[in-house]
Amino acid sequence: MHLKYESQLREPLVTGNKDYHQVTEDICRPIEAKPTKLWYVGFFIAVTLLMFGVYSVYREVTYGIGQWNLNKTIGWGWDITNFVWWVGIGHAGTLISAILLLFRQGWRTGVNRAAEAMTIFAVMCAGQFPIFHMGRVWMAFFVLPYPNTRGPLWTNFNSPLLWDVFAISTYFTVSLLFWYSGLIPDFATVRDRAKTKLRKLLYGVASFGWTGSTKHWQRHESLSLVLAGLSTPLVLSVHTIVSFDFATSVIPGWHTTIFPPYFVAGAVFSGFAMVQTLMLMLRKIFVLEDYITLGHIEAMNKVIVLTGSIVGCAYLTELFMGWYSQNKYEGYTFWYSRANLFSPYGWSYWGMMACNVISPQLFWSRKLRRNLFVTFFMSIIVNIGMWFERFVIIVTSLYRDYLPSSWSPYYSPSIWEMGFYAGTFGLFFTCFFLFAKYFPVIAIAEIKYVLKVSGDNYKAGVEKEEKMPVEEFVHEYAH
Amino acid sequence: MEQKKYWQSFGELNDSEAYQQSGKDEFQEQLPFEADNKGLMEAVTPRRDFLKYLGFSTAAAAVAASCEIPVKKAIPFANKPEDIVPGVANYYATTYVQDGDVLSVLARVRDGRPIKIEGNDLSPIYKGCTTARAEASVLDLYDTARLRFPTVNGKEVTFDAADKAVAAALGNVGAAPVVILTTSIVSPTTKEVIAQFLAKYPGSRHVTYDAVSYSGLLLANEATYGKRAIPSYRFDNAKVIASIGADFLATWLSPAEFAKQYAPNRRIDEKNPQMSKHFQFESVLSSTGASADERFLCRPSEWGAIAVALLGAINGQGVSGIADKKLAEGIEKTAKELAANKGQSLVVCASNDVNVQIVVNAINEALQAGGKTIDWTATINNRQGIDTEFAALVEDMNAGKVGALLIHGANPAYSWFAADKFKSGLAKVNATISFSAKEDETTSGCKIVIPDHHFLESWGDAEPKTGYFSLIQPTIYPLFKTRQWQDSLLKWSGATTDYLGFVKQYWIGKLGSESAWDKALQDGVINPAAEAPLTAGAFNAGAVAGAVSAVSSAKKGGKVELVLYQKVGIGEGQGASNPFLQELPDPITRAVWDNYLIISPAKARTLLDIDLNNNGQADKYETVPAKKVVKVTVNGKSIELPTLIIPGTHPDTVGIALGYGRSEKVGKAAKNVGKNAFILAALKGNTVDFTASDVTLELTKETYEVALTQTHNRYDTAQGNRTEVVKEITLAAFKHDPEEIRREREAELKPFGGIENYEKEGTIYPVYERPGIKWGMSIDLNACTGCGACVVACNVENNIPVVGKNEAMRYHDMHWLRIDRYYSGDMDNPNVVFQPMMCQHCDNAPCENVCPVAATNHSSEGLNQMTYNRCIGTRYCANNCPYKVRRFNWADYTGADSFPDNQRGEVDDVVLNMNDDLTRMVLNPDVTVRSRGVIEKCSFCVQRLQDAKLKAKKAGRPMKDADLDVACKSACPSDCFTFGNVNDKESDIYKARTQNPNRIFYALEQIHVMPNVSYLAKVRNSDEPAHNGGQHHAAPAAEPAHHG
Repeated sequence: MHLKYESQLREPLVTGNKDYHQVTEDICRPIEAKPTKLWYVGFFIAVTLLMFGVYSVYREVTYGIGQWNLNKTIGWGWDITNFVWWVGIGHAGTLISAILLLFRQGWRTGVNRAAEAMTIFAVMCAGQFPIFHMGRVWMAFFVLPYPNTRGPLWTNFNSPLLWDVFAISTYFTVSLLFWYSGLIPDFATVRDRAKTKLRKLLYGVASFGWTGSTKHWQRHESLSLVLAGLSTPLVLSVHTIVSFDFATSVIPGWHTTIFPPYFVAGAVFSGFAMVQTLMLMLRKIFVLEDYITLGHIEAMNKVIVLTGSIVGCAYLTELFMGWYSQNKYEGYTFWYSRANLFSPYGWSYWGMMACNVISPQLFWSRKLRRNLFVTFFMSIIVNIGMWFERFVIIVTSLYRDYLPSSWSPYYSPSIWEMGFYAGTFGLFFTCFFLFAKYFPVIAIAEIKYVLKVSGDNYKAGVEKEEKMPVEEFVHEYAH
Repeated sequence: MEQKKYWQSFGELNDSEAYQQSGKDEFQEQLPFEADNKGLMEAVTPRRDFLKYLGFSTAAAAVAASCEIPVKKAIPFANKPEDIVPGVANYYATTYVQDGDVLSVLARVRDGRPIKIEGNDLSPIYKGCTTARAEASVLDLYDTARLRFPTVNGKEVTFDAADKAVAAALGNVGAAPVVILTTSIVSPTTKEVIAQFLAKYPGSRHVTYDAVSYSGLLLANEATYGKRAIPSYRFDNAKVIASIGADFLATWLSPAEFAKQYAPNRRIDEKNPQMSKHFQFESVLSSTGASADERFLCRPSEWGAIAVALLGAINGQGVSGIADKKLAEGIEKTAKELAANKGQSLVVCASNDVNVQIVVNAINEALQAGGKTIDWTATINNRQGIDTEFAALVEDMNAGKVGALLIHGANPAYSWFAADKFKSGLAKVNATISFSAKEDETTSGCKIVIPDHHFLESWGDAEPKTGYFSLIQPTIYPLFKTRQWQDSLLKWSGATTDYLGFVKQYWIGKLGSESAWDKALQDGVINPAAEAPLTAGAFNAGAVAGAVSAVSSAKKGGKVELVLYQKVGIGEGQGASNPFLQELPDPITRAVWDNYLIISPAKARTLLDIDLNNNGQADKYETVPAKKVVKVTVNGKSIELPTLIIPGTHPDTVGIALGYGRSEKVGKAAKNVGKNAFILAALKGNTVDFTASDVTLELTKETYEVALTQTHNRYDTAQGNRTEVVKEITLAAFKHDPEEIRREREAELKPFGGIENYEKEGTIYPVYERPGIKWGMSIDLNACTGCGACVVACNVENNIPVVGKNEAMRYHDMHWLRIDRYYSGDMDNPNVVFQPMMCQHCDNAPCENVCPVAATNHSSEGLNQMTYNRCIGTRYCANNCPYKVRRFNWADYTGADSFPDNQRGEVDDVVLNMNDDLTRMVLNPDVTVRSRGVIEKCSFCVQRLQDAKLKAKKAGRPMKDADLDVACKSACPSDCFTFGNVNDKESDIYKARTQNPNRIFYALEQIHVMPNVSYLAKVRNSDEPAHNGGQHHAAPAAEPAHHG
């Protein structure tokens, strides 16, 4: 994994002139110190949200889906919007860990641990929606194809919802394994530094007896590569399959072949935005600016502007096809229900356009890409925009489909629908706060690989140049 | 002697310690728990024991939890009645009678409970159809609001005590007359019973009161034909029909009969396309107006003038006295058509003004309608009330001149425009006796209440038309301590027989023998041996000139006028307590659970500042249930109502439905529903006028949410052009080019092989043969009048839950069958199409492949089936249904949920009331009651299909059409449904499809879902050019609208 090529010009991946011990110290500090007040406040808010979510779901399960404002025309609303949104967010982690690993992008080491954690938690949040959107959630096990006593009844393998079951559960499992296997050496580090018995025991168990022997490292490396290889197609497949929920239907606005690539791009887009949001907070709160550098942020902003533009292209293609196909249903959905600002849901379409297509174009400017405030603000905007995208796809397609007689009155969510969504935020941040407190938020072992790769050379080079007299510098670069 | 010792083992022989121990221990081996005598809690638990404990405790917990299942008792018959087979329905012929409305019906009785009303095919008047109200009436039997015992001054008493109280009260009246106040009595025996009773009290009288009276018509007939009666209108003989405000297909006089007569002339034989022509002059869009070929807007104050102008034009004097040019042209055109078809034309009018009706009689006389389209032999007895008689009674009551008042059916404390005056009069009457089955507004003011039976518990007879009789027999033992009111009257008049004896005696006397009576009872109807020839009345033209001049000089209307109309379900208010009827969408407004002010789009622009031609404003109006509230003032009386903008309303006329705002004592369904509009009526001359010519409208700042089951109303707007959903054409265009619709379909399907090869070419998947039975339905849009009988029939047959206003407003209505109503063309006076829409049972159903658990799948007979207990409620199928016919159980509407008691506070009281043990007796045991969280939808009445197949199987022959009857089809008064086995070349459905190649279409055919419900295009007998998308909008040259 060591990059043998050492760049003279590339910015260092870790700044602050760290040595190996300092890295360990920096990253283990939050685990070993008492949580800050800020942590407690944040954790309390997250748990409160989670409790509200639990109550909202309790109401829905006890009294029925009628607790939400869905209706006979709009069978899915916030529930599936949130599902797709969370799944999308859950893409960046694996993309960073797997695809960037395969592409040997060394910069990923600073952010991959937290990004993967985010993935796991986001997929956990996403999973709540397809489960609890069921009218009879207590019968949810019907979707599992296991040998049963119900005679010839079996799941329907034609249904995209069943594909979802497999896609999401596979993705979750592989992501979790990948994440955890990366954590093992770091847990071992924490274990070795542990001062209390309990700590030693717990981190000892968690690190599965890691000794750091060469054999261990060798197997660890192989496992990482295998899991990376497994995860890579999953990054593409999961959102492709989620998009099939819509693409295989007959509903205008859903029945679209462009969906798989468009959904994947959108997922990466929103995932990176979410990583940005979290990383910017994390590096601030845990003083990790040396590990999560401006370089990381810029790199991720580049991904955002790229995927944002792909998504924008997809939107325009849909609009074009809505006209070019001369299919009146598509024409109605895309041009009247969506692109028309004055139609009932026009605001959501243009909200989506503004957030996802127009505003990320700011990142063509290097200055803005490297501006923390702009990045943070944009990361929020992008996630709002991506939420709108899913809302637009689901609700504006359903609420006026084929029969004008069934066109729906205006749909807006009930408090319990919003509560469920808020609850998944609670779940996400509860998990994330626990993670930040008890897990090494940066891959200690991996960051050490890249510590000396470019940093020292860069430093040495820059120092040399700085000390150079002007004539010599000119002379040097004239060659 | 030493006893010999027998031993079985050495252990026993030696009597070892181990042996003794084994004798004490019950079990030979150690118990599986290694308790070591230390007690279970202290025991060390090895792994295997842990698993044992786990297994045991889980099993125990599961067993304990399962014990919670409530015990339901099903008690078998000790001695099984001969004619009751559990699970097999019995049918009893009886008669639905409510306030003069009559329908000959069969009651389907399952295990002793009547659960469904079907039409009686033997009735030549109704020919086996039903109405929404008759279908729903079975629920009234199990209504929790029914009075359960007689009361005197509000206290429960026995019948004996009640009889004594009545005797005492009647003994006290002295010289003051005893008055029996009823709605129109159609029963000949009841009339005799009343006569017997009244004979005992000299000076007493019987007053008939109809909430919406036809006194104008009755008096006009008296003036011109010398008979205070209503002749039969024979729409079946009429080629040209003109109606002035009369909603004769839904609410006017005898709508089921009229619809049955009207429909055959509206159906088209493609080889020889002919249909009647129907002109409608009206102020507020009614379902009759919606079915009309040409519809002209007028103010209600102009009804008289229109009649006069028609009369003049028919007599060749031209149209005069009509200022509105469009209207005048319409009258001229109508007069021309009417006059050209003398003897085959008919004019009816809703006006309750004697003079107007005299003029209408003169018109019909001029059209030589007598004996052809109007029959004076079999007069209609549905309405007999004369307003002045009742008004005089109210005066008498207030003057203290009434000794006793016995009330049956009539509810003037609610429906008389001056209800307060009636109530104050009622308080002044010494003896007030009500026979009402419920505590209605009038009964609340009565001292003695002896509740009557429901008609399904009663004996009796009815004569809806002179010479045509229909018998009533009980289908269940009375549920409560109620007594038939005729029994009470007989008892009080000292008769020795009860009413059953009386009826039987009467009819045996008429029919000649007991066996004839038995047969009549079995048939349910007694018809004249041969249909009597139609006769014309002797017309006396003397009154006409006076009537014409009176009408001509009548006061002109004010700026805004009002029409008080009835809804097909609620009627005069009888339906208000019935949840099925409250939840039956109005055919035009599609609203449920409310009445409201209907205004025109033009008026909305000025009054509400809403312009429906502006897409943004129209969207806003449609998508938000909160509607602006307007204060309506008539003669100083005012009510505030939300407004609905209904195209086809006269710009200066507003409409309000009667029958709302009832006391909640008549049922939970009536609680806080609408406002009483009867107060806006007034006595004008001799009759009550249900229109008002000077109305003030005042916009308030408030809004009120109205539950609409359909919010978007057009299929032909530029953006939402959906001509594949509904197809309509004019008769002229159809005659000119019969293949237009077929060509349009061909063009739509051309990219996929055209009509012939569409099934195969439209898909990349293989197409399978479908041998054996393949169920299919055809719906003739030409015949449908939107009356809603099918919708209620479907509700009752299939145990469809009532959801209440709040849920309906959230677009959660559960109807499996709905009647979509679309407007097209001119928004000020649009064309209307009714389209019954239910599961289309697509061969290539998009709902089936998206269900993750295969809860919905296809039967080998082409049914799209729903497996409720497999459904987990993802709602994907509902999303993916292009017809949006799948319904989700959003809450526990039925009480069938596995979570107990989770409805309180979540659904309306009326829904809870529907789950009462009493109300649940109406449920059809053949159909699963769905629980919360599952999808449901039309099953093509699969329980009936199974029944039909079994019937044929038992008879050892192939199934035929006659074995079959689905609920919607059997209810329909205009026979717009055809249902059967498409593969059977003898079946009606096969014929309906093959004989109408030019009118048949499938809704949304081009998305290749291959529906099994076909429609026959609406044909309108108007002169306008064809009105379907092909001509109205430039259709895109190529239409690659394929979605499948």
